[in-house]
Amino acid sequence: MHYIKVNDLAFHYEDEPVLENISFEVNSGDFVMLTGENGAAKTTLLRNILGLLKPTKGNVNLSTKNRWDEKLVVGYVPQQVASFNAGFPSTVLELVQSGRFQRGKWFQKLDKQDKEHVRRSLESVGMWDMRHKKIGELSGGQKQRISIARVFATDPDLFVLDEPTTGMDVHSREQFYKLLKHNSKDHGKGVLMVTHDHEELRRYADKHIQLVRKEGSPWRCFSMDSCKEPSKHHSSFH
Amino acid sequence: MFFYGFMQRAFQASFLISLIAPMLGLFLILRRQSLMADTLSHVSLAGVALGMLIGVNPTWTNIFVVVAIAILLEYLRMLYRTYSEISIAILMSGGMALALVLMGLNQGGATLSMNQFLFGSIVTISEQQIWMLLGLTIMIGLLYLIFRKPMYILTFDEETAFTAGLPIKTMSILFNVLTGITIAVIMPIVGALLVSAILVLPAAISMRLSKSFNGVIMIGIIIALTGMFTGLVGSYGYGTPPGATITLIFIIIFGVTTLIKKIVLQIKRSKLLNSKDL
Repeated sequence: MHYIKVNDLAFHYEDEPVLENISFEVNSGDFVMLTGENGAAKTTLLRNILGLLKPTKGNVNLSTKNRWDEKLVVGYVPQQVASFNAGFPSTVLELVQSGRFQRGKWFQKLDKQDKEHVRRSLESVGMWDMRHKKIGELSGGQKQRISIARVFATDPDLFVLDEPTTGMDVHSREQFYKLLKHNSKDHGKGVLMVTHDHEELRRYADKHIQLVRKEGSPWRCFSMDSCKEPSKHHSSFH
Repeated sequence: MFFYGFMQRAFQASFLISLIAPMLGLFLILRRQSLMADTLSHVSLAGVALGMLIGVNPTWTNIFVVVAIAILLEYLRMLYRTYSEISIAILMSGGMALALVLMGLNQGGATLSMNQFLFGSIVTISEQQIWMLLGLTIMIGLLYLIFRKPMYILTFDEETAFTAGLPIKTMSILFNVLTGITIAVIMPIVGALLVSAILVLPAAISMRLSKSFNGVIMIGIIIALTGMFTGLVGSYGYGTPPGATITLIFIIIFGVTTLIKKIVLQIKRSKLLNSKDL
């Protein structure tokens, strides 16, 4: 079942084309990685998919239902989330618990199961001991980790992640990829992730979408190289 | 002092404003809209002047004008996402200019009343205003209890709120409208020039004292009650304008808490250094 279907998408900033001829799908259980050089409009593409921007041409079909015919829940981690408002008056626990609101808890109290989910999510990123800290007191890497804990606490059907491993140490990154892969492979979650992690692309991705600069265009316009299965022997990065 | 009817009403109004201010103020600060409250209070003067000019109860024209501008502000905020203060600058000066022009057209008789709206007056709080304030407090309290989770996400990050399926535009407009109504109701009591300070300062102080979201609201209410009651007593004792006295008390509390926090932090640091040396 497809969660995201992008058909011949083009996006222009005012009159300047930045994305053209983009078509791909992300299905339930897919682990899709999106790569490209700096400024290759990767974030712009994600924002088009999520409905934060409107495509100039083509369309994006973001499914409203998951594979059990329930409302599709999307978990989004924006780029440079670590730079979020340092003065925001919230503890780590409050923020990660807010990930459960999307699971039908906007107007209900969180139950035991929700709290267990939150605990496991915080433990998975090694932040349980810091749950009572104010989020503004955390380092950049720690903020990144609680943002990831928050999205795991949501337990979404579709993960949309924009360079989520920025600022993470090697061990935390490894843990994060294993958990994400387990979610997609064993629980049928869809994953679309922008990354620069070469090694992990080779090891974990089911599909690789690379945005490359369009030849012959007078603009800094990007298109898809192709949508391919990444080689398990060598990286397809240049 | 407590036997005078007008002082009883002033304390009742202060109590109710103390409950509202931290709830609205916290969201205003976190949404970077502290100045929006100031803009709306300037615009509300135009609402009052319009009411006086056409001979309609100024409270109603005030609410009507402020709500319309609150909606326009949200539209301009979306239009100038990066430079959202542009909308503040345009509407603040525009509101004040319109108020002055309308006052000029309504020559004679309106100056005294306008002074009351500018600086506020505890003597003129009516029974009707108390009831309006009570209704508003109940409404804001209920809305906070029902919508605090969606509002928490909306103030944390609008894009995260959007992808979580929240109607962010509608929520933002309704929040602005609620802020506008609150300002229109509170303004005759504390004065247009200081209404935003009274809304924002308790939350600004408590943000430095509490780690959690609900903690900020609770401590904010205690600070608001302390500042409002002390300010009222001071205003009565020294014959100073209530809005200004209350604002100065809040600023003193802000200074004192900042100083105490710094001293505590210094002591903690030196203790930590001493234990490391040992």
